[in-house]
Amino acid sequence: MEQTFEILGFLLIVFTLLMQWEVYVNKVILLFSISSFIVALFLVLLGISRPGENYLLFVLAGLTVLTRGLIIPIIMTRALHSLYKKPWRVREDKPIMGIGGSILVSLILILVGYFIYQNSLYEVLKIHSGSVPFALFMQASLLIISRKNAYIQMMGFLVMENAVVMLSGWVFSGLPFIVEAGAILDLLGLVVVSSLIIRVRESAIMQEGDIYEKELRG
Amino acid sequence: MIMENTIYSLPLICSLTGALLCLLPIRSFERIASIAASVAALGSVIYLFSREDIISDIYHIDGLSKLLLLTIGILYLSTVLYSLAYLKHIHNPLFKNRMYYFLLNLFASSMFFSVSMDNIGLIWVGIEATTVTSALLVATENDQITIESAWRYVIIVSTGLVISLIATTFLYGASGSLSIASLMQNHPNNRVFLLGILLGLIGFGTKAGIFPMHTWLPDVHGKAPAPVSAIFSGVLLPVALYAMARLIQIYDVPVVKIFSITLGALTVGVASLMITVQNNYKRMFAYSSMENMGMILIGFALGKYGLIGSVIIIISHGLAKSSAFYLTGNILSVYKSTNLQDVHGLIRRMPATGFTLFFTSMAVTGAPPFAIFIGELFIFREFVHQYNWAIALLLILFLAIAFIAVNVRTGRMIFVGKEPEGPREFRAETWVPIINLLLSVAVIFLIPYLEKLLINFI
Repeated sequence: MEQTFEILGFLLIVFTLLMQWEVYVNKVILLFSISSFIVALFLVLLGISRPGENYLLFVLAGLTVLTRGLIIPIIMTRALHSLYKKPWRVREDKPIMGIGGSILVSLILILVGYFIYQNSLYEVLKIHSGSVPFALFMQASLLIISRKNAYIQMMGFLVMENAVVMLSGWVFSGLPFIVEAGAILDLLGLVVVSSLIIRVRESAIMQEGDIYEKELRG
Repeated sequence: MIMENTIYSLPLICSLTGALLCLLPIRSFERIASIAASVAALGSVIYLFSREDIISDIYHIDGLSKLLLLTIGILYLSTVLYSLAYLKHIHNPLFKNRMYYFLLNLFASSMFFSVSMDNIGLIWVGIEATTVTSALLVATENDQITIESAWRYVIIVSTGLVISLIATTFLYGASGSLSIASLMQNHPNNRVFLLGILLGLIGFGTKAGIFPMHTWLPDVHGKAPAPVSAIFSGVLLPVALYAMARLIQIYDVPVVKIFSITLGALTVGVASLMITVQNNYKRMFAYSSMENMGMILIGFALGKYGLIGSVIIIISHGLAKSSAFYLTGNILSVYKSTNLQDVHGLIRRMPATGFTLFFTSMAVTGAPPFAIFIGELFIFREFVHQYNWAIALLLILFLAIAFIAVNVRTGRMIFVGKEPEGPREFRAETWVPIINLLLSVAVIFLIPYLEKLLINFI
């Protein structure tokens, strides 16, 4: 079972790398949705492999599919549709980092995640692939930093949240259910509010161009 | 028992009810509902002072929580009152007034929630909820720059809070509990737990405007409507600091203290230097808030007199800085600019605003005999007692830089320049910052009482 977890963790990193290299926003949303389903599958397998613990991992898996796999991508896609006539063509033309650079930085970050884990937590936790959530977290940070498109930045933030779900389930056997439920509610609220803000922001940029840099400096 | 304890949720219930009432489709009812809710919330907070501290499975309301609840209650009411007049000056709002008051009430309730809970995970949920409820409030004025600052707020603060969620996971993984009370009594002494505490300090520090994750703060304070900037600076930042204080309280070991003091000192240093290059008076006051948050964090880390000093600064800074931001609203509505160069002769054009701003500016920068000065004295006393004079002197130097930079700039706006065109103005809403400033001064008389309230913490 441990190897299955490692394969799923590896898949999640691959999907995040694909998000890093993708320029079309709707495809980034789709990739996030698929990676959320993988997280849910991960939680189900975790629940099966730890029968003594409780059923909460299954509930968490269900909530992950419902909110991160379905509702959030639907909200983001609808926001995209309401703003653009051809939402499937919305893309980030000039990412801050090119594909070559992002491959290099991504690989470095995976190594950094592994190094940090091995030298700080492995001794205590004794889980061989526990570095996967850390690597995923760093990938997500890169996605936020290296992109200017607000939708893609939001996806980066959501991948971070997925990394935390994975971390809490795999490495630390979950958080109390009331905290998990509160976090999911907050996440949903944040996505709704962010969609509104992104929509107004993008339409303002379409009409006026980027004019904010000077006033928000210093 | 449960019903009896529900009394401790009254501030939360009042503000939530106020939010729901704002949704009723009755003309201007949202104003009445918000005033009633904020008065009721403040009344219930004052009533809680007559009750015993409570530490149960759900609540953790001790002296520190009560003082935070009181500050939130006062600023909630004053922000509602100031908003009644200020919203008229917003010409192209993002949404109707009904939505503004709905969000404001929800925002207050999420802060009440955050400082009442015994569970670190639920405190995280409450603080994240403050982001959800306040992001749109920041964007109220609906221009591209405001929207951009709201977006930066959402993405930077949420990312920071993910770090504190990881921290929560670490704490729970290491100890099997998230209860503040039980963690204070019994916690593991291993690397995972320590890492959880340190990550928590960084994560919650993002929301509190602590270096290095502070970059959202000047953008938001510079562009949000004046009442929103006021409540952000006055209580939102301290609510995040409250979470940090609890983490320090749980794991009071030298490495955590030194880490917190370093973060606090860097925050004071960076904020003080940034103040000197500001041309925007709202951003200038935002950096001043950051500087005060740095001092509060240092006080929390030091404990004892440092802690009392921090609490004095939280209350008096909350009142005085909110007063400063309300006054920036007055200025902006007349001068139509946030640039320091465009505002002059304030004392002749808007005498009440000018005079109050002068004293407010002195108060927030720690001029004697205002309460922030006393709070800083307490912190320095403890600092010198535990460490040495050299670092304390460096901090005093930074505070002096901030003091001079803020007061010289504010003084220029108030006293320098010819009388601008237009009639002299006095606005009824100016009473709100005047009263807050007076309350800020009155904090000095609370100091003996504070020591009694915080006795368990010290």
